[in-house]
Amino acid sequence: MNSNATQSSWGTFVLLAGMLVFAPIAEGQIRITKPAGEKITIQLAGLSGGEDEASRVFLQTLQRNLDRSGWFSVVRAGQAEVSAVGSVQVRRNQLHVQCTVMGTANRQQYLSQSYRHAADDARRLAHRVADDIVEAVTGRKGIASTRILLVGVTDNARELFIMDADGGNLRQLTRDRNIVVRPRWGPTANQLTYTGYLQRFPDVYLVELETGNRTVVANYSGLNSGGVLSPDGRDMAVILSKDGNPELYIKNLRSGRLTRLTNTPRANEASPSWSPDGRQIVYVSDQAGRPHLYIISRDGGAPRRVTSRGTANVAPDWGPNGLIAFSSRIGGRYQIAIMDPQTEQIRYLDTPDHADYEDPSWAPNGRHLVCARRENFRSSIYVLDTVGDPPVRLTQQGGDWFSPAWSPE
Amino acid sequence: MIMVGVAVGLGVTGCKKRGAAEGRSGAVAPIGGLHGDSIYGEGLGPRFDDGEFIEGQFQAVYYAYDSAQISATERAKLEEVAEYLRRNPQVNLIVEGHTDERGSREYNLSLGERRALAARAYLIGLGIDSGRLQTRSYGQERPVAFGHNEEAWRQNRRAEFVIAQ
Repeated sequence: MNSNATQSSWGTFVLLAGMLVFAPIAEGQIRITKPAGEKITIQLAGLSGGEDEASRVFLQTLQRNLDRSGWFSVVRAGQAEVSAVGSVQVRRNQLHVQCTVMGTANRQQYLSQSYRHAADDARRLAHRVADDIVEAVTGRKGIASTRILLVGVTDNARELFIMDADGGNLRQLTRDRNIVVRPRWGPTANQLTYTGYLQRFPDVYLVELETGNRTVVANYSGLNSGGVLSPDGRDMAVILSKDGNPELYIKNLRSGRLTRLTNTPRANEASPSWSPDGRQIVYVSDQAGRPHLYIISRDGGAPRRVTSRGTANVAPDWGPNGLIAFSSRIGGRYQIAIMDPQTEQIRYLDTPDHADYEDPSWAPNGRHLVCARRENFRSSIYVLDTVGDPPVRLTQQGGDWFSPAWSPE
Repeated sequence: MIMVGVAVGLGVTGCKKRGAAEGRSGAVAPIGGLHGDSIYGEGLGPRFDDGEFIEGQFQAVYYAYDSAQISATERAKLEEVAEYLRRNPQVNLIVEGHTDERGSREYNLSLGERRALAARAYLIGLGIDSGRLQTRSYGQERPVAFGHNEEAWRQNRRAEFVIAQ
């Protein structure tokens, strides 16, 4: 990324009329907050762009990103509460954007910033500007600049792919003609782990995205799967069968030392996910006959079973908001459920169709989830909103796409 | 857990005596694998990762939905594998576990591994040295039948055997 922010100034103590609620945030700034589900209207007509492709892509992407941010509704003109004005131009293969965001009624300024970025990467700059607008107006972190890992099928092999959070810019990361099972991000958006078979057995691989380096981090005899880095990046929770049965372990990546956490000779463990503070792990076990979720301390001890409804509760993802998203088979189909591990209360997301929704992964904003939606044995990737915006399909291509993972930043 | 320990003990004893005909009938205490139990404490030895690999020499063993139990109808297939291994003491075996396409992919990796471990435990019970038996789970990733119906799922819930020599 080569974008340069050349200047910045922030509006302060903005007051708008009407039904808006004002919340003081750090640095004494006032942002607009609204009841969940209500949108701030914004118009972009004052952002004048050139006729060129880069400007067109920029404006189109910016509009779409703001519409999908969860906080805004982009309107054509007229009664928008907030408006963006400025210019979008290409000079010497560089896209130059000047963007000022004002409260319409009171002319207060939330954001005024200039950007410069490679013109052939206009989408990336649009993501950044969208996130800056979201944060300046609402005080919340945007998600437009984040990325999503996913697995796709090509020539009957499973390959690892990555795309922007809006489904654009899909790129293939592996060309091994091998198998990739459920990629997971590490604590930063530079590291990921997945299960692959490059050495003919299921091993856990660690990839550094910036360098493309790939190393094996678990290749014990038998099964190595579900590897996921701890929030501090020092340890990996992983499922191993080397001692005769699939069990949950923690591997210290520096010393290589293994600690076994479960002891279930008659059961499977799978799919560990760390709590945000790194002290606990949620995982799947079928020790009670059906796959359910359990929480165990990273120091071991007795696990606590936290699900009982449904015939299967699998693929947990413990989000930055402290909530655990998982797929729950209930009434014969998989739905996305969210649990507060303190109270063990579970809420099912409203997906009113007959498809299966599986493998949820939290966005870093703690509001959106990405998941695989399967219908007639074809899987595609969707974003769900816990506040209530309708599901959005991200993979527009045909084919089979599954196991999405939303980057942590 | 104690039950499992006993089962493992029987399996290993049979292995050392190189006979274990009583393991075949199921009349004695169940050996590991018969009820989907693992051979706990009987960890896996080093992988066989060089040499020649020969697939398709034996019939696949099939499993019920979400189960790693070796059913009575499948035991003869494992006895045939054990017999081959007894007659060819120089070869090793990789037991591959597979599942149908339903359910979570990661859970299916663990389920496939348990299926492979159950077949391995049965072979150990029939007198095969555990060091000659490795497992490899593919979960749902390598189906043999590509349909989306009961018949395809039945064919995909299986263990296969790869000779390593």
